[in-house]
Amino acid sequence: MAPKTQPNGSAEAPIEVSSTPTVVGINFGNSYASIAVLTKEGSADCIANEDGERQIACAVSFHGEETYIGNQAKHQLVKNSHNTITGFRNLLGKKWVPLVEYLLSFAGRVFSGRGKFSEVPQNEISVSAPVIQHPEIADEPAYKVQVLQAAPSPLPTTATNTPAASHAATPRSEPISVTRYLTPLEVTTIFLRSLIQSAEDFLGKKVTGAVISVPNWFSDAQKAALEKAANDAGVIVLQLLEEAGAVAVTTTTDVWQAQGVAQDRTQLIVDLGSSGLELALLSIRHGLAYTIDTLSDHTVGGDYIDNKLIKFFAKEFTKKTKTPLTVAPATETQDKRAEAKLRLAVEHTKRTLSASPGAATCSVESLKEGLDYTGTINRLRFDMEVRTIYDHVFTKVQELVARAGLDLFDVDEIVYVGGSASLPGLDETLAGGFSETVVTPFTAGTVVGGGVGDPTTILARGCALQASLLANLPETTEEEREVKSAFASGSNWTKASATGKTIGMLFPEDGAEGALGGQWVPALWKETALPARRTLRFDVDLGDGEGEKKVGFEVWEAKEGIKVETVKAGPPPLENADGEVDEDEEEEEEEEEVKERTVEKESFLAALSLVAKEGRKEKGRWKTTVEVQFLLGEDKSLSVTAWEIGKSGKGETVTLTVSA
Amino acid sequence: MQRGKRDCATPKIFASAPKREPNSKTLSSTPSTAMAHVTKLSIVPPPLKSDWSPPAPSGKAISPLVERKLLPAGPAYLAHVKRAVHKLTFEEHDKHAEEESKRLAELNGTGSNGDDDLGVGEEEEPEDLLALDPKEWKKQDHYAVLGLSHLRFRATDEQIKIAHRKKVLKHHPDKKAGVAGDSNDDAFFKCIQKAMEVLTNPERRRQFDSVDPYYEELEADVPTASQVKNAKDPQAFFFKKFAPVFEREARFSRKQPVPMLGDYNASKEEVEGFYDFWYNFDSWRSFEYLDKEVNEGSDSRDDKRYTEKKNKSERARRKKEDTARLRTFVDLALSVDPRIKRIKQEEKEAREAKKKGKTGAANGVSNKQKEEEEKKKAEEEAKKKEEEEKIARAEAKKAKAAAANAAKKARRAARTGEEGA
Repeated sequence: MAPKTQPNGSAEAPIEVSSTPTVVGINFGNSYASIAVLTKEGSADCIANEDGERQIACAVSFHGEETYIGNQAKHQLVKNSHNTITGFRNLLGKKWVPLVEYLLSFAGRVFSGRGKFSEVPQNEISVSAPVIQHPEIADEPAYKVQVLQAAPSPLPTTATNTPAASHAATPRSEPISVTRYLTPLEVTTIFLRSLIQSAEDFLGKKVTGAVISVPNWFSDAQKAALEKAANDAGVIVLQLLEEAGAVAVTTTTDVWQAQGVAQDRTQLIVDLGSSGLELALLSIRHGLAYTIDTLSDHTVGGDYIDNKLIKFFAKEFTKKTKTPLTVAPATETQDKRAEAKLRLAVEHTKRTLSASPGAATCSVESLKEGLDYTGTINRLRFDMEVRTIYDHVFTKVQELVARAGLDLFDVDEIVYVGGSASLPGLDETLAGGFSETVVTPFTAGTVVGGGVGDPTTILARGCALQASLLANLPETTEEEREVKSAFASGSNWTKASATGKTIGMLFPEDGAEGALGGQWVPALWKETALPARRTLRFDVDLGDGEGEKKVGFEVWEAKEGIKVETVKAGPPPLENADGEVDEDEEEEEEEEEVKERTVEKESFLAALSLVAKEGRKEKGRWKTTVEVQFLLGEDKSLSVTAWEIGKSGKGETVTLTVSA
Repeated sequence: MQRGKRDCATPKIFASAPKREPNSKTLSSTPSTAMAHVTKLSIVPPPLKSDWSPPAPSGKAISPLVERKLLPAGPAYLAHVKRAVHKLTFEEHDKHAEEESKRLAELNGTGSNGDDDLGVGEEEEPEDLLALDPKEWKKQDHYAVLGLSHLRFRATDEQIKIAHRKKVLKHHPDKKAGVAGDSNDDAFFKCIQKAMEVLTNPERRRQFDSVDPYYEELEADVPTASQVKNAKDPQAFFFKKFAPVFEREARFSRKQPVPMLGDYNASKEEVEGFYDFWYNFDSWRSFEYLDKEVNEGSDSRDDKRYTEKKNKSERARRKKEDTARLRTFVDLALSVDPRIKRIKQEEKEAREAKKKGKTGAANGVSNKQKEEEEKKKAEEEAKKKEEEEKIARAEAKKAKAAAANAAKKARRAARTGEEGA
């Protein structure tokens, strides 16, 4: 062997072993679910299941011996609707009797007599397996499905009493058709198990825990049922996180804050899913969030948009082919099947409309009587068709904000959640009522292309981030266990007091305009939970004179309001080339409301002054950098500390305290 | 980018319309740093009012608070709860958070002794290991090549797989493309592949385990009778030196689990069971691995058969040797086992105690015992006789065979003589 010039190995082994637990976040909606996992960088990412779907339909379908789950099951709605189960999440943990009332109000179904139900045609949402009273368990709803069950395998032959017994096993007989009664809990277990399976296939590791989102109106019984279903599916539930909480987690990450939203803001969550609208108004103060008010409305949602859309296409179809087609509601069997087909097809149309401004197609093979249909719709037309829904959402938003005692101008950010909220038309409608500085995922441009603002993945990503936070909590001491228990539902630690007024600094100024008499710098916004600490760093102008310079300010509580002025609106009417004034525009010259945020000094607390020693001259004026820390204790006592930041580091500190 | 945004916001606008303008107001650093709570503002307050002097505090407290319910979500809530539960001030919590982030970083880190590599770990690769010749693969220590020399026959298939992957990632020829020197040198990689080939095949792995060079070395080093005798504390010496040998040999047993030497206070049944097992030891050890290769070049069937025959007899011889080796070792252990002495002593004492305790009534029992002992003795003698007879028979056989041989030889000689004549 030739002498070696260098040993065989020098490269570092690139295997990275992480001992952090594998956790996932699951957004479990009534119509769609999504799964998010954590990336190596520590952020969360929504993953696709085996079918390549990031939004997995909450549907389970039984066909013969097969079980379909997710979007495949949805397709079964066309021909196998009585064995297809959808919308089961909202039935979780419900008893049969109140459920009847609930379904009555929610989906518009009428139950007659002993739990048999008929569907009200005008408000029919989806055709799926019937919900009935469970035949064995009292007061428990169940889905009745027909499945083929493998015949029981024949008993092994003892072959002692028959002299010519064959050694070949007796062949199994044909599978037999049986009726199965599945409770919503069992269906949820089947569904969640498939979600976890998808996540495990993607990660290549066993999933050790999950955070699952729940709507804020879920009762304790419903939460318990969901947790049980998850446990049955082999998932350890780290937390059942309120949807608003999941949004708060996603929107307080660094990636999100980099979009240019403030640390302290009022956030409006518009969750327009396929089966309902959920609105929530959050106060986010340096990542700490609480709900100011919520509103849910199940009379509007993606399914209603679908209804409008399929009606539109059905009309087009009739116009083109002269074949009558009545859908939403459909009465004849053929029409019903056509409706189901259209319902599946418009899903794609809606997604195309959300993604691109061009025309979107809708094509169905053999829609009715063997006739194919292909039609297009553009955004403008679509927005016209669903205008009423947009307006309805807007009125609900106004209702919520008014109920919370706020004005639309107080909202700093709108976050959209849910598939139907991806429609740009909705944002356009809503944005009209808010201030110009409001940040929405659409203005930030993060909706399309898998951006951080993608409404369909926000919840799942929030859940995944929360899961990683919880999974990494230590649990060695009593106190640490206490910290962990603070994330359980109904924990006492969620109770907090918040400030009622904004506290800030007022820098008095010579010849200042307005009633304030100086520069107002807010430090602790109203609705900030106690205890709180805010440290502000800023440059102070010290004037151009020489000699000893001072920095001083007064600490005030301020009242904020919205000033509404009515002004003559609109630019001067445009004159046409021939000098004729457009009559329409002249008529449009109406009075318009102009809103403006105002601040009024309300209560003087104390004042502080500091001698500036580290001033530096910039463009003929003296400047220095100052840090001011506001510390608001649990006992309502406020202490304000100011110091100068110079080349030599932190200067002398000056403190004032406002006792409780 | 963010800085630019800040600079272009004019302070005057802020003074007249103090909107919460997100674009101009806040820009935070990452929350993981200690100074996370510092918010930088782009506002530059104007010079102080010329006649301003700090007014006296009003003595008013802040406005009444409102009760709210926080959303139990996000790191900020965690921080909030931690401060409340641990009763920390903000400064203390900053420190706490820093330590916590360090702990998480460690958890997340590239620790080589993480759970996921199943304890395969990293092993040093001495020069001579890396200089192995793949052609001489039969001589290499496959476990050492894969970095499993701390596990050896205990390594599971899963561990072998992980170890192999680690080594391949390190030594794949592609990794060395472009490195100065002999870039085509994939000798060690070939060794790795060979080792993997042997260790993933259960039959071949057993064959290799049978002649594992690491244990071969140890086999030579077994305690002897004189060592036991000369030891300061023979009892301790016995258990210290013999136990590891039995543990080592146990891996060859077809029957698992194997009874181990135990300690001085083991009961009579345990000791008897132990020697019983080891005298009837059923070993899977085999020696195919040491077979001589059939000469590749030759097509000769005879040649092949000859080698095969030779290998076979060699294997049988080795196996026999191995069995004998183990047997002599067990014999040695039995002869120097301090527990045998102890048990005998105990039995004797028990007998005497019985004798003393129940002189009258126990006569029958002692008779019985005596009878038993006699019976045992007789049995032993019979056994001995049998063995002797066996030996004698074997010798007779040998003699017979020798005689026959001699006769044959004589006949042959006679025949050759006849032919010659």
